[in-house]
Amino acid sequence: MKQEIIIAGFGGQGVLSMGKILAYSGLMEGKEVTWMPSYGPEQRGGTANVTVILSDKPISSPILNEYDIAIILNQPSLDKFESKVKPGGILIYDGYGIHTPITRKDIKVYRIDAMDTATEMENPKVFNMLILGGLLKIRPMVQMGNVIKGLKKSLPERHHNLIPMNEAAILKGMEIIKEV
Amino acid sequence: MAEKPWEQTGMVILQAESEIAAINMVYGGAGTGKKVMTSSSSPGVSLKQEGISYMAGAELPCLIVNVMRGGPGLGTIQPSQADYFQTVKGGGHGDYRLITLAPASVQEMADFVGLGFDLAFKYRNPSIILADGIIGQMMEKVVLPPFHPRRTDEQIEKECPWAARGKKHGRRPNVITSLELDPAKMEENNLRFQAKYRQIEEQEVRYEEFQCKDAEYLLVAFGSSARICQKVVENARTEGIRLGLLRPITLWPFPSDIIAQYANQVKGMLSVELNAGQMVEDIRLAVNGKVKVEHFGRLGGIVFTPDEILEALKVKIIR
Repeated sequence: MKQEIIIAGFGGQGVLSMGKILAYSGLMEGKEVTWMPSYGPEQRGGTANVTVILSDKPISSPILNEYDIAIILNQPSLDKFESKVKPGGILIYDGYGIHTPITRKDIKVYRIDAMDTATEMENPKVFNMLILGGLLKIRPMVQMGNVIKGLKKSLPERHHNLIPMNEAAILKGMEIIKEV
Repeated sequence: MAEKPWEQTGMVILQAESEIAAINMVYGGAGTGKKVMTSSSSPGVSLKQEGISYMAGAELPCLIVNVMRGGPGLGTIQPSQADYFQTVKGGGHGDYRLITLAPASVQEMADFVGLGFDLAFKYRNPSIILADGIIGQMMEKVVLPPFHPRRTDEQIEKECPWAARGKKHGRRPNVITSLELDPAKMEENNLRFQAKYRQIEEQEVRYEEFQCKDAEYLLVAFGSSARICQKVVENARTEGIRLGLLRPITLWPFPSDIIAQYANQVKGMLSVELNAGQMVEDIRLAVNGKVKVEHFGRLGGIVFTPDEILEALKVKIIR
């Protein structure tokens, strides 16, 4: 099994940390993992994307032509990565901020309104965990127990009190994702 | 909370005020026989070149890490491999060589610290890990090498009889310097360095072969370019192109002999580098005109995709 995933959005949306938690979760499950970020020098506001590869075998290139799964969190990322989903692959997007329809017919498309839900929950910080939950609903590539272990590993100890909140957001994300 | 390594091992981590200060602190520390390293990204390593040349001249072991970014000048912070010439052909002044290790994974980034120090002490010569911004930013699974306790003062005295650690009664002082104003003696020093470099070239060449056995065409790439090229080999073989990859692990000493051997087997070679064509010169020297050798690269921080490389192979070599 190999999953080649791109997560793309604005800096500050938690793109890189979501990828990190996914990578650590895969690590806890005994998989080979690669986490490869790409972003400009600015920490917030610029575009940011991260490639996460989970595999049962050693991983070759961290730079890919196309992806099994693209998680798209803003319009520039849709423009850049829609064409790079493998035929039969998956595209997940957040409804907020995407204003052109997805044109590909040979891939599965899912929508998750995580930005709206995070706003309703009055907790914008769980945005990326809602998305992660949606992803894991569609492709349960790592077990929930290992996701929690991955969260523990990637969050500093002083923030471990936030793990139940993140877990709840992941479960919520699983509820709100819909096939388009 | 568990004690951090620097709290229990006595290691010192110091942020220097400048690159020049850093490399000269390394010079001083290495002179006492301790294991000392410094790291920076391309422009910072340019600043360290004077000290590196001095350490090669004073025959001091140390480890330098360069995580290459796009240049020239201040350039960009994105990945590059454009410091190949600087690292393997000099960088600083004088006839010296650096033992150059090129990691292609985060695992090797960890492993080569130990290997770099071992080789540096074995030959009393600076080693350098030449990585790039891809390896530098990437996270992967790493199994850390076994922990070796710090060497005791007695062990250092025994292993490094040349070190300046305070003169004891009854022995001559150890002088560590690269200065020798008598040209006859300076030539002798140089001949000693050259003999050492020939020995390193004979004994320390490291490389990895990937699907080379039946290869009709060969990619040669180091560091993260080699990781990307693995995917190119996989993709090419699904199209029926018998492609292999040779990955130099040591850039100096360069694996010239094995490349020369493959020149008898393959129809052509493509050197894939994130620069304008540097390692390709060493490949051409090894191949000596026997088969076609071309270069493909991207510049200034842009990273090639597997598709671009395969296309370049078809255009420059196969067609």
